[in-house]
Amino acid sequence: MAGKNCVAIAGDTRFGVRNQTVALDSNRIFKINNRTLFGMTGLNTDILTLRESFKFQMNLYNLEEEREISPKTFAHNVAQTLYSKRFGPYFITPIIAGLEGEDYTPFLCATDLIGAMEFPKSFVVAGTGEESLMGVCETFYKENMEPEELFEVVSQCLLAAVDRDALSGWGSVVHVLTKDGITTKRLRTRKD
Amino acid sequence: MFTLGSVLDNELKSSVEDFSFETEFSTNQLMLPNIEKPFEFAQSIISLEKDLDENDNQPMFHQQKKEERKERALIKGSKGTTTLAFIYEKGTVVAVDSRATSGQYIASQSVQKVVPVNQYMLGTLAGGAADCQFFLGHLGRICNLYELRNNEKISVAAASKLLNNILYSYRNYGLSVGSMICGYDTRGPQLYYIDSDGSRLKNSLFSVGSGSPFAYGVLDAGYRWDLSKEDAIDLGRRAICAATFKDSYSGGTVKVYHIDENGWVKISDDDASELWYRYEEKEKKNK
Repeated sequence: MAGKNCVAIAGDTRFGVRNQTVALDSNRIFKINNRTLFGMTGLNTDILTLRESFKFQMNLYNLEEEREISPKTFAHNVAQTLYSKRFGPYFITPIIAGLEGEDYTPFLCATDLIGAMEFPKSFVVAGTGEESLMGVCETFYKENMEPEELFEVVSQCLLAAVDRDALSGWGSVVHVLTKDGITTKRLRTRKD
Repeated sequence: MFTLGSVLDNELKSSVEDFSFETEFSTNQLMLPNIEKPFEFAQSIISLEKDLDENDNQPMFHQQKKEERKERALIKGSKGTTTLAFIYEKGTVVAVDSRATSGQYIASQSVQKVVPVNQYMLGTLAGGAADCQFFLGHLGRICNLYELRNNEKISVAAASKLLNNILYSYRNYGLSVGSMICGYDTRGPQLYYIDSDGSRLKNSLFSVGSGSPFAYGVLDAGYRWDLSKEDAIDLGRRAICAATFKDSYSGGTVKVYHIDENGWVKISDDDASELWYRYEEKEKKNK
């Protein structure tokens, strides 16, 4: 979700196989650099593989370009990587959130599993509970929220949506990205 | 259709042909729709989660057919629940969760999965909610009639047999019932498992639903015939709590009931997640 010169990403930390919960601490939101956060949902093995793949690509970019990648460029990179596997895709739904440019304008991007990009201004959702999430976010989203308020809204949206989805929950993490840095908080969720 | 008129006709008949086995225990069949292939339609109304796993070893065309049936299903059911019951020296303990899911959407966290049959018998609900509620309610009616006619309490064995016979006559209609009949009668604490496939099993402990493997783990480890009442109730509660934690399709609140010679009593009703956090705290303190 985007606020005033800040963005927040929140996700649950469950790793499960069909109905069984296997782990409670699988982190799916990764920091690309101080301006970009990258979250993925879907098949766990693809999440892990792509995390390494993008880490590698970003290291190379830093060495060649001698600067940090901007969120928009990274989003296009993600789309390109996903489309390269058009006929044998990675089963993930990525979300990119960052602060673009000198004046730290919030940037959000979501793609589907083969790299079709979408740049909404307000919020993006992904995962098994995305329909519930969409509803709650739509209700509680306001423009130009300050970081504290943004954190509250994002947390409540996630908690509410996760309680209506059987396959989500068991712990959650919220990252808020401002020009001063990233604050990470873990929320207490239902463990059923 | 089950109408009042047809039930009354049944009453008249039974007063004339007194104690006739057929009229006393027969029910009017629920009607099938007047279409070609009525059974196929009946079976396609609820699609169960468990159908998913059966697909894995089937040839392609079989899989496609099952997929089609799932798409056309009017209700996406799942035996997504955890219910358990066990008998011990002092009575019967019944513990259930309270979540209802339709596919992966949590439809409700506050479902009543224990249906009282009469004062000393409880039935549990797993599978199709409507099916279980109707047939357990119907079982309650039949048991009441039995008591009025024969002036004695019906035994749990007989009640479960009645339900079993009714469900067997609806075999292949696409019903989904995985119920446990738990009670206390002259023979002591009794527990029967009744299925919509027509099985009726007697044992000292059962767990039914998608969370049952997880509940069995805790239940089997702690079960003894000579448990104290407090320990037995705690065992039931812990087993359901563990199942709600591990199984995504179980959750909500944990309800525990106890049945002894004085009838059934609701012991507790706790939020599953709060209970889990409480047990975690206790573990930390013990360490």
